[in-house]
Amino acid sequence: MIFSTELLVQTVLSGLMVGVLYALMALGITFIYSIVKTINWAMGEFYMIGSYIQFVAVHYVLGARWWWLAAIISAAGTFLIGLILEPILIKPMYARPMQRRDDYATVVTIALLLLLRSLAVALGGPNQYRPESDLPVVWIGPLPQEGARVAAFVCALLALGIFWIVIKKTWVGLALRAAAQNRLAVQTSGVDVYRLDAIAFAIGVALAGLSGALLAPLFMVFPTNGAVTTVKGFEIIVIGGLGSIPGALIGGLLLGLVESLGAAFVSSPYQNVYGFLLVILVLIIRPNGLFGERGREA
Amino acid sequence: MADPLLQAEGVTKRYGGLVANDAVAMTLLPGEIRGLIGPNGAGKTTFVNLLTGFETLDAGRIRLGGRDLTGLPAHQIAARGLVRSFQVARVFANMSVLENLLLPFLAAGSAGGLAHGQARARELLATSTLEHMAEESAGALSGGQRMLLQACAGFMIPSARLHVLDEPFAGINPVVKDTLIDLIERENRVEGRAFLIVSHEMAIVRRLCPRVTVMIQGRVAAEGALEEVARRPDVVEAYLGRVAA
Repeated sequence: MIFSTELLVQTVLSGLMVGVLYALMALGITFIYSIVKTINWAMGEFYMIGSYIQFVAVHYVLGARWWWLAAIISAAGTFLIGLILEPILIKPMYARPMQRRDDYATVVTIALLLLLRSLAVALGGPNQYRPESDLPVVWIGPLPQEGARVAAFVCALLALGIFWIVIKKTWVGLALRAAAQNRLAVQTSGVDVYRLDAIAFAIGVALAGLSGALLAPLFMVFPTNGAVTTVKGFEIIVIGGLGSIPGALIGGLLLGLVESLGAAFVSSPYQNVYGFLLVILVLIIRPNGLFGERGREA
Repeated sequence: MADPLLQAEGVTKRYGGLVANDAVAMTLLPGEIRGLIGPNGAGKTTFVNLLTGFETLDAGRIRLGGRDLTGLPAHQIAARGLVRSFQVARVFANMSVLENLLLPFLAAGSAGGLAHGQARARELLATSTLEHMAEESAGALSGGQRMLLQACAGFMIPSARLHVLDEPFAGINPVVKDTLIDLIERENRVEGRAFLIVSHEMAIVRRLCPRVTVMIQGRVAAEGALEEVARRPDVVEAYLGRVAA
């Protein structure tokens, strides 16, 4: 392996690019957890759904030129599915008193994971698909970058920006932030916390669906394509700290960088191992994650 | 006599064999400030939780302004005008003081009148001497200031008519205490709000509440002016224990 500045810059760039997409996924997990207090183990399946919607929209309906519209449709589609599923699957755990809420959520979301995967096999078969992409290679200085990758990166940044505006500037965002801090008190304010749960769940899975759509031309479309992304999402949660939005962002970028640098300068077949090494390192130094809180205020 | 604002009848709650509220009845008039007193474990907080939908009744009815609130979820009860505060002030520490006040206002669907809401919030902050903290995060407030903020947040719900304050004066410093009393008196006088105040601070109850309800062991034991009920032997006994003869 020959070291060169050019290679280093390119590696860092592509690491950051894929890192932002990882961050999107992790943000979805952490956001749902911070409001609904539930880990959605079926997150990767919403990524998968997003990628299928993208493929169908680009391949059969819109064509490669309209990939961005397809991505918006994918995000909106997964948002709607989340909005419909949450009251059916997750709400019962709050609506009646329950002893082991976390166990309930784990079982329900894992069941959902299996159902959605099987559904994908039933509908699309075990095949791999790839939506066409006619985006040209982008030159950053002397360095070529795949067009779809750059597009995914830019759209992910846009999505993060929109997310930030919704959370900071709208009243729904205000209510969501309040609910994240105290589910009881927010009801005293006249806010329907169950509705917020559904909205938060829908936003979270829409982030996963959007990453699936954006990464579809790069990582392919098949029934279990969400599995790897889910694992990476949870790696980031461990690195950044559960429930922390900055943690999800920084953790995503870090993971992307470490994987990319490791693959380029150490050995590329072990790309997925470097992330776990980072996880272990963080667990040793800061068991609650970089931005994790030691305990949550009741 | 005016139509009652709050009518609670036969409010009952059991925890296993323990009857925490046993057919509690209470009628409040519009604009009334009522004290709710009683020894620890008398069921006062349970009653507050039942009134405001944070626990479900085993039996009984609750009506506000003639509308039945029985069995509604907490947020709908708040939106219909029966608003509570918690014994440990639950403010949103990561949001600014102003945002804490705007949330209940916006939640009521008043987004159109944001300017009006902000003006109202500023006015409440001025009365609570929290003006200078408006942009600070609520986490920077002292315990007493949080109690003020929590009360003000209730006043921001446009439909709010009855405010149930659970131990608002417990463990806060005397200056903030006076500010909170002024705030309650002002909102009562100017806005015609009714209050149900759970408190152990008899001096404040005497000053604020023309009438009090005494709860003992899950039941209403007495109702009337504080001076009057304080002379009743069963009330004295519940507070001080039986006096040896």
